[in-house]
Amino acid sequence: MNPLNLSRRQFLKNTGIVGGGLVIGFSLSGCSTPPWPIAEVEGGYSPNAFLQFTPDNAIRFFCPRDEMGQGVMTGLLTLIAEELDVDPQRFTLDFGSVHPDYNNPGMGVQATGGSNAMRAHYHQLRQVGADTRSLIVAAAAHDLGINKDQITTENGEILVDDERYPYSDFIATAAGMELPENSPLKAHSTFKYIGKDAPRVDALAKATGTAPFGIDARVDGMHHAVVRRSPVAGAMLVSVDKQTVLSMPGVTDVLEISSGVAVVAEKYWQAKTAAAALDPTWSEVALSEVSTETVKADYNAAMLKDEGISATSEGDAASAFTAASQVLEADYWTPFLAHAPLEPMNAVIRLGDNEAEIWTGNQSPVGVQGLVARFSGIEQDKIRVHNMYLGGGFGRRGTLTHIIEVTEIAKASGKPIKLTWSREDDIRHGLYRPASLIRMKAGLDEQGNIHAWQAKRAGGNISPDTLKNVFPALFPGLGDGTLNFLADLAEDVFASYLADPSSIEGLAEGYDLPNHDVQHFTVDHGLPLTFWRSVGHSNNAFPKEVMMDELAAAAGMDPVEFRLQNTKNNPRLHNVIRVAGERMQAMNPPEGHYLGFAAHGSFATDVAEIAEVSVENGKIRVHRVTCVVDCGLAVTPDVVRAQMEGGVMFALTAALSGRIDLRHGEVVQSNFHDYQILRMDEAPDIDVVIIRSEDDPTGVGEPSVPPLAPAVANAVFAATGQRLRSLPLELSYGRLMPNSASTSSVCSPCLGGRW
Amino acid sequence: MIKFTLNGKTVETSEDPNTPLLWVVRETFNLTGSKFGCGAGLCGACTMHIDGMASRTCIMPVAAVAGKNITTIEGLGTPDEPHPLQAAWVEHSVPQCGYCQSGQIMSAAALLEQNPNPTEAEVESAMAGNLCRCGCYPRIKSAILATAGPALAYNAAKRTGSEAEA
Repeated sequence: MNPLNLSRRQFLKNTGIVGGGLVIGFSLSGCSTPPWPIAEVEGGYSPNAFLQFTPDNAIRFFCPRDEMGQGVMTGLLTLIAEELDVDPQRFTLDFGSVHPDYNNPGMGVQATGGSNAMRAHYHQLRQVGADTRSLIVAAAAHDLGINKDQITTENGEILVDDERYPYSDFIATAAGMELPENSPLKAHSTFKYIGKDAPRVDALAKATGTAPFGIDARVDGMHHAVVRRSPVAGAMLVSVDKQTVLSMPGVTDVLEISSGVAVVAEKYWQAKTAAAALDPTWSEVALSEVSTETVKADYNAAMLKDEGISATSEGDAASAFTAASQVLEADYWTPFLAHAPLEPMNAVIRLGDNEAEIWTGNQSPVGVQGLVARFSGIEQDKIRVHNMYLGGGFGRRGTLTHIIEVTEIAKASGKPIKLTWSREDDIRHGLYRPASLIRMKAGLDEQGNIHAWQAKRAGGNISPDTLKNVFPALFPGLGDGTLNFLADLAEDVFASYLADPSSIEGLAEGYDLPNHDVQHFTVDHGLPLTFWRSVGHSNNAFPKEVMMDELAAAAGMDPVEFRLQNTKNNPRLHNVIRVAGERMQAMNPPEGHYLGFAAHGSFATDVAEIAEVSVENGKIRVHRVTCVVDCGLAVTPDVVRAQMEGGVMFALTAALSGRIDLRHGEVVQSNFHDYQILRMDEAPDIDVVIIRSEDDPTGVGEPSVPPLAPAVANAVFAATGQRLRSLPLELSYGRLMPNSASTSSVCSPCLGGRW
Repeated sequence: MIKFTLNGKTVETSEDPNTPLLWVVRETFNLTGSKFGCGAGLCGACTMHIDGMASRTCIMPVAAVAGKNITTIEGLGTPDEPHPLQAAWVEHSVPQCGYCQSGQIMSAAALLEQNPNPTEAEVESAMAGNLCRCGCYPRIKSAILATAGPALAYNAAKRTGSEAEA
């Protein structure tokens, strides 16, 4: 079958910054044509990489993006289904394997993240659906000997007068025809599925335990692997006694791999038990000396010592501060965080002589393929990647070090391998949301306008680690020397010349800040860092939005009024604040409950949140969160609601208890007893208000995260008078006081360890 | 050999008796709907029914279930014949990533068996052992409360059916 690629131009472009992270765009020109990704079915027809029609009138959808819970399967299918005129619930579901047609149009590479799937695919996949429908209509007109304009369609059927024919009747003819281009798209007013509520298409599989996750894959002859890694990231194996473990039940291999020692056994429990019995010793690295307190002190020292890189600026902040009528300054701390997706990292691999297969849920199938090629020596095109449902991603499954591990283990043992990380592996050996020390300084004029704004951020950067992990995956042909050179170069550039966008995003955007200055101070202790749901915004909205409340108090203004006055040049954020403000005004919280407000734009979406909070016996309890979102057209509104709900819960876990600490370089936390996730009896009710919009859709997976922590902190201030500037939020017991009229005052940077 | 009943069938295993039930069910009996989340009984992803009680099977040695009656998510309902809770999960679009949902549903099913008309607080309390990292709690709660009656009737019918077969 000859694939007819739609508008190939759309698939192969774009270099840029997406979702705060540095994304590498590259052209595939010069590469050999990769194998067609869809397995042929007798009598079936695939007009493109996204659809396969079969004679039984089934239509299979190959989702180009990875489904990690964000509802992308439902959302993207709805785009195609709308224009193809088939109910989304009628499709069978599959994931695209590796092929350039599945590239993310907003990234130029096959990867999922940055809340960009709907914005990147909105026009593309509608066009795919519309062109495919035109083709089937043309084939039907040909077979029935009538004009195309005598034909209408309805839910996968061709309608001619009173006769109905399933699309599948015409796929044989369609297969021999040219696929039309630029078929007209539906007007919004005629949408049947877009903008309507319907169940998620993957809900039944996920409710019956039949949805395939990576951890569920099995292959003949498969053995299980468990890896012991250094408790301090980056340390190397010095010695290990393999012999005692080799004699344990079921154990077949004990292997030194690049990340540590792997135990291979017939069963998982045997591998786990044997790995626990190993007693490896590890080298010392610089990180071995580091604790959480060291990190904080080093960040502070860097700010006091250095000038920092000027990241963004406008106007003349320095002069503006001298002209300001009031100046506030405060320090804010946000900790390292783990993602803790409920499905730990895992993969199943089978290496053949000159081909291989791998099953794993991941955020970049082409990256998986590249790493397997690099570490097995098998040609990239001969490696089949079976993408699976992801048991949570949150940014964690974009980094694929476990794919290197499983490939090394399979190669060295000569066996098909399932690698399963434990929860302790996940919490202690992962990559983390960077910690940040943020020093905010803001000046007001007499009218309550933000006249001057300065934000300094100290901490590590995500992009060098991202490049270190992405380069070997995307360019498996490049040698280690070149890769190390590029990785070192990236690290130097972000440390000395160019602020990593992921580090500073959200510190000075959204509001009218005519005189502002953002400075960055890179201090990297060597703990691996990566994207964590909403990336830099997860750190930076907290200081920005708590400071907004501090400024409002200093100006003697209502926090919503203050924000409205200072967002006049950003109509969409302004409107979200207005709508949420009206909701807040109408709220009548019970006695002892207090409201807090915050708003933030990220991933091209604006969100305002109101947290209803009480403080009982020193414990912060969030009862209700109202979330107002403008994400353009809500293609699948219930998925938007679910993402707002989920983002609020994810952020609330971080706000109330999330912290990864270091002691002698080792991560202190290890499992859900000390890295606690919000439970149902602590979960707030959540109201989601979606602003009606005809604009193109924008991101929804991440933007409800950033405003939550500051909204809760601002409510805690209303409840107690305590201004909490450190995450997770902890009340100072000695200072508990009833709500008072205390106003914000000038806060000097607090260096005593409590931010 | 350790013998027990798995979704209505008698099975036996020669696994190391210390192996947690979860791994025996997933690897030996190839039922992968029950998930591994923490290995410490903290998250509930591995929840199955042991003699009708919702139990964390990642810390339950298989030797401890000898002679007992085990039900997994696969035994509760199927895509063609979903349990009312599973149907409610679809209707309320509960799952996001979906990884925890087998455990959530098994805990909910055990709750409704024991307490057919739970209050909201009773649902919260019974479900507090099941973590959802995606934050589906409000929908889980709604789906359970919406199902309480039908689920009860369904279970009663199923029991009658199995008695009739026996």
